[in-house]
Amino acid sequence: MSTVAEAIAAGELPGRVWMYANYNCNLACSYCLTESAPGVPKRALPADDMLRIATEAAALGYTNVGVTGGEPFLLGHLPTTLASIADVLPTFVLTNGTLFNDTRLAKLDVLAGKDIAFQISLDSPDPDVNDEMRGPDNFAKVVDAIPRLIERGIRVRIATTGEPGRLSADDHARLCELHRSLGVPDEDHIVRPIVRRGRALDFDMGTTFLPEEIPAELCISADGAFWSPFGPTVWNGRVDTDLLVSRQTNPLSVPANLLLRAVGGRPHGDDVVIGIR
Amino acid sequence: MTPRVELLNAENAPLLARPFFAGGDPGPIAASMATVPELLDVAMPFLGAALGPSSIPLRPKELVILRTSALLSCRYCVAAHTPVAIDAGLTRAEVEALRDERPVVEGFTDAKELALLGWVDAVATGTGPVDDAIADEMATHWPDHHLVELTVLIGATMLLNRYCSALGLPNSEETISRLAVEGYASGVVADAEPHPTTGATAAPVPVAVTVRP
Repeated sequence: MSTVAEAIAAGELPGRVWMYANYNCNLACSYCLTESAPGVPKRALPADDMLRIATEAAALGYTNVGVTGGEPFLLGHLPTTLASIADVLPTFVLTNGTLFNDTRLAKLDVLAGKDIAFQISLDSPDPDVNDEMRGPDNFAKVVDAIPRLIERGIRVRIATTGEPGRLSADDHARLCELHRSLGVPDEDHIVRPIVRRGRALDFDMGTTFLPEEIPAELCISADGAFWSPFGPTVWNGRVDTDLLVSRQTNPLSVPANLLLRAVGGRPHGDDVVIGIR
Repeated sequence: MTPRVELLNAENAPLLARPFFAGGDPGPIAASMATVPELLDVAMPFLGAALGPSSIPLRPKELVILRTSALLSCRYCVAAHTPVAIDAGLTRAEVEALRDERPVVEGFTDAKELALLGWVDAVATGTGPVDDAIADEMATHWPDHHLVELTVLIGATMLLNRYCSALGLPNSEETISRLAVEGYASGVVADAEPHPTTGATAAPVPVAVTVRP
């Protein structure tokens, strides 16, 4: 068993490895960590790199893979790449859920029967409130896509992101009613704070955190390996380096061991304080 | 000269690079190399071992560093190590000789130091094996383990010379002020002239502001 595997088994390192598939997005959300939008540099991970990372992660003892962006489904290869990754480790994909027209949905057939889940953002039960932060027609597209994904056998989680207290008890109850009606159970609905990085800084939003307050999930992007998917964020066009672990990502054991070293001495449990686990 | 790469600071320093920023500004070498933290992580201890205190006294080490830096026309390193050489007890004539502002024999008469400077010149500017006569003279005065260490020191200094010059790293205000106090107008002699041995050139330095930070 590798040192990394021992640390994961002991709970000293989280078991998930993240990948930033790309940085470009069809949306430009006001709280986006990565200033993603149409036309920004793609900074895409090649498909074969993504599969290599997953394969090496499994060998190192990691237990699951997260894929995020940008909007990963802007990458044409993503469904087949995800299918290959999911054959190696359980896989979790963050998508804005707005691209799933009939053509793209058909391409998801390769994921049938795989251990894969999509996480889609839905920030309010009210379309206008939701769309204010996420863009026009976002609510309608997401509400349309979720049942169609579930029909195809894809597990869908809903993430509600916002400032603490923004969602009233009534809003929350109506949102839960909505996700249940779409086929998403309560255990697959998470509420999380905005993290004060990326575009959230421009809009003076979000919660500030220290590295020791967030899970030390290994996150690989085209710019290197980072401490958590909150690491390779972008502000004013510059990739943040404060949570950079290493530029080297191949073999994965290099950043994994460096991350393990960085984790040394970090107090346990602080990451749950601000609720972004 | 504007640095060609970003110099990180304590706020955006990567996790593994943070110890280098714990005492404040770590200087432009570490601040630039921090963008590749896994490289910084091994390079700085190596450079510290090569250039820092060791079994060889400070004076001969500074002879090597300053002479090599002058031979490679590294304005940053010459400027940074001129005060260090002065603090190591070198006379003005010695410093000027090392900086190539006067012939070496005008600054140095000790056979052991001349042997070392011959070795530095041969290693830093030559290609292929070092001439036997130079090597024999060196071996007369310096044991093998010092020869190894000093040769590593020359190589490490050359690495830094090229790194600092290529990336246009700025000297600190402290260095610039100290040079002014000591009456050194710039970090490199004959800034715009090719070095007579190496052909290397340094960018012109405005005389009025001495070394550009």
